[in-house]
Amino acid sequence: MDMTMTSAQTGPAAPGAELRDKITVKNLDFYYGASKALKSVSLPLKLSRVTAFIGPSGCGKSTLLRVLNRMYDLYPGQRAEGEVLMDGENLLDPRLDLNLLRSRIGMVFQKPTPFPMSIYDNIAFGVRLYEKLPKSEMDGRVEAALKRAALWGEAKDKLKTSGLGLSGGQQQRLCIARTVAIEPEVILFDEPTSALDPIATAKIEELIDELSGDYTIAIVTHSMQQAARVSHFTAFMYLGEMIEYDDTKKVFTAPHDKRTQDYITGRFG
Amino acid sequence: MANALYAGRRARNGLWAAFCYAATAFGLAWLALILGALLWKGVGGLSIDVFTKMTAPPGVRGGLLNSIVGSLIQTAIGLALAAPIGVLAGTYLAEYGRHTRLATVIRFINDILLSAPSIVIGLFVYQFCVVPFGHFSGLAGGVALAVIATPIIVRTTEDMLGLVPNTLREAASALGMPRSLVIRNVAYRAVMSGLVTGVLLAIARMTGETAPLIFTALGNSLFNADVTQPMSSLPLIIYEFARSPYAEQQKLAWTGALIVTAAVLTLSILARLLAAPKRGR
Amino acid sequence: MTFAAALVVLALLLGVAISLFLGAWPAFREFGLGFFISDAWSPPREKFGAAAAIYGTLLTAVIAMLIGVPVGLGIAVFLTELCPPALRRPIGVAIELLAGIPSIIYGIWGVYYFRPFMQDYLQPALIHSLGNIPLIGVLFEGPPLGYGLLTAGLVLAVMILPFVTAISRDVFETVPPVLKEAAYGVGATTFEVVGNIVLPYTRVGVIGGIMLALGRALGETMAVTFVIGNAPHINASILAQGTTISAMIANSFADADPGLFTASLLALGFILFIITFIVLAAARLMLARLETKGAR
Repeated sequence: MDMTMTSAQTGPAAPGAELRDKITVKNLDFYYGASKALKSVSLPLKLSRVTAFIGPSGCGKSTLLRVLNRMYDLYPGQRAEGEVLMDGENLLDPRLDLNLLRSRIGMVFQKPTPFPMSIYDNIAFGVRLYEKLPKSEMDGRVEAALKRAALWGEAKDKLKTSGLGLSGGQQQRLCIARTVAIEPEVILFDEPTSALDPIATAKIEELIDELSGDYTIAIVTHSMQQAARVSHFTAFMYLGEMIEYDDTKKVFTAPHDKRTQDYITGRFG
Repeated sequence: MANALYAGRRARNGLWAAFCYAATAFGLAWLALILGALLWKGVGGLSIDVFTKMTAPPGVRGGLLNSIVGSLIQTAIGLALAAPIGVLAGTYLAEYGRHTRLATVIRFINDILLSAPSIVIGLFVYQFCVVPFGHFSGLAGGVALAVIATPIIVRTTEDMLGLVPNTLREAASALGMPRSLVIRNVAYRAVMSGLVTGVLLAIARMTGETAPLIFTALGNSLFNADVTQPMSSLPLIIYEFARSPYAEQQKLAWTGALIVTAAVLTLSILARLLAAPKRGR
Repeated sequence: MTFAAALVVLALLLGVAISLFLGAWPAFREFGLGFFISDAWSPPREKFGAAAAIYGTLLTAVIAMLIGVPVGLGIAVFLTELCPPALRRPIGVAIELLAGIPSIIYGIWGVYYFRPFMQDYLQPALIHSLGNIPLIGVLFEGPPLGYGLLTAGLVLAVMILPFVTAISRDVFETVPPVLKEAAYGVGATTFEVVGNIVLPYTRVGVIGGIMLALGRALGETMAVTFVIGNAPHINASILAQGTTISAMIANSFADADPGLFTASLLALGFILFIITFIVLAAARLMLARLETKGAR
């Protein structure tokens, strides 16, 4: 596949051109019924890097995230046009098996969403969908996932208790553990810390940083500081359009577009 | 990833989906079969005689006039008793006793009465309104229907008043209106269509009710508007004629069934239409 | 005044319990506990026992639940997860209409259409297939009469199905969408989401709805009376004719002499009241628990 034509038209030198694209979004339009929420959005998600989507409320950043794992398919009347390629395969293909897609692209939500079952089963549930493991091996997988999500120390003595008994931050880490356990290739974070206190937020951010070595990550965030802290690349969106995509450092220090500048300096949004 | 395990999961998913489609088809098929049978067997018997002639012994052409009138009278008695009691009790639960212990108990009891077997209610009314007077009567039938209708009206009244925003009550109280006037002038008015819905549902339920009438109103093959005497009604005559060996009476049973069903479903649909905008759908 | 009206509701339930118990007392005094275990029902000899009616009531309710609950849940899942949105409302309304049809209509339909179908097709098929299997064969013995416990149970199944559907659909809709999304997000199929997320989350409400339906099946009169055959006997075969508490009352009350016969029928009514009270109370407590949970 031709690598040079995949990045967005943001500047003369495409950012991160030396890195491989895990996902390439090309001319993506998205509709909620008749209203258009995304207008010809194009950008890459670089392999093993964190890409942050920022922008004022309603700019379409969450919508974009939900296109990547086709979550919008659950709701009739919502549709996407254009191309979203993952390793060359078009994710918008209607014949694509969504269950398999979603096992390859994990998602962590705004509010923690532990399933109504034990901590252990929260993690084992997703694993069991794809692998039939003997008990001992499953125990190992659960432990590894909890360790990966920095939750093992707090949860190891209460694996059989309900996931709902954990604190908000712990629940969110449980959701991350659950996502990691099925070994996806990409993880989507939809404002993962908006319901958490600063300490819990710091832990999640640390975690995202650690995970980025192994996974391609996209994160939607309201907090520019968070985007600056955790991401390698940042996409600024406004009114359904991709305004600017670049190295995070560049976006925050020397944005090309006036609107990006206004947003990061707090003049609107 | 596309392994045998996943293939099994997909197959299971497909099987379950097929089951759900089949279940829905099954449910809809019954509705179609029952309504179809009612139309098929019932429409043929519809004539002016049905509404103008009395029920008759075998061999004589009759109608359902006494039963229709009996149904109307007993439903009217039921409504006259159930509507005020139901609305007032519902008002108590929603406005005055909202969080009291007693209200919790009454709410619970009301919910039980709501789904209590109607035959048990009939026996109760028999003990109360038939045994002391020594004979069956249309009045007893109406009372039995009232006992069945009351919990429905209590429930809808409470639910509907619960939808009235407290700010509206506070705004009215802030004008110096006493509580009872706030309820009467503001709360009732805000949920009028909801109250009517409850009443319509109650009428629908009373229209089709049969079991409790067997030992309260008993039935009567003659025209009777005296509520102290046994009285016919559509469900009772369907019950009697459906088991009759005579084709003419069977035909009338089906016609009666069609009339009852049409009335009940019309009332239910009306109630739904009235309630729909309030539910924000 | 509203308070007085509220007390009327309370008085009604107490009135039902007390008046039935007083009316039933002569029968309980005469037969004692034997009333519950005897299946004798002989007005001329003044021998009455409730066992056959209780047996028929429970058996028809079990048959109704075995079929009505899975089908009702299946429809609820269809409506919440599979149905195209344009059809959701019409199909939902149609199922609710099924609930609105009066039971006397189920009765007349059952005896004119469903009973012949049972006699000509389903019962012979059962007798010739399952009837030959050792052990369970005894359940499907006897001549195909059309009337019987199985026929009544099946009609009841159709009657309770819309109740199961309506309540389950309502509680299914209380599941937060994001929870379902999270489950879809790990690659679960629709039915894995329903089985692992939706049903556990709504378990209390669904069971409450099922109990409510059970209360209905136990107390239903008219639909059963027409098709059950009204024979006060206990028979091993589910194809056999039988009776239920409510059918027995509806059938015999008009001819009953005052005295032990009437008292025995009132005693049956009292038993039915107690059984349904327990079931309905359990159902309401479960649904109430769900409401307080939802308000959290």
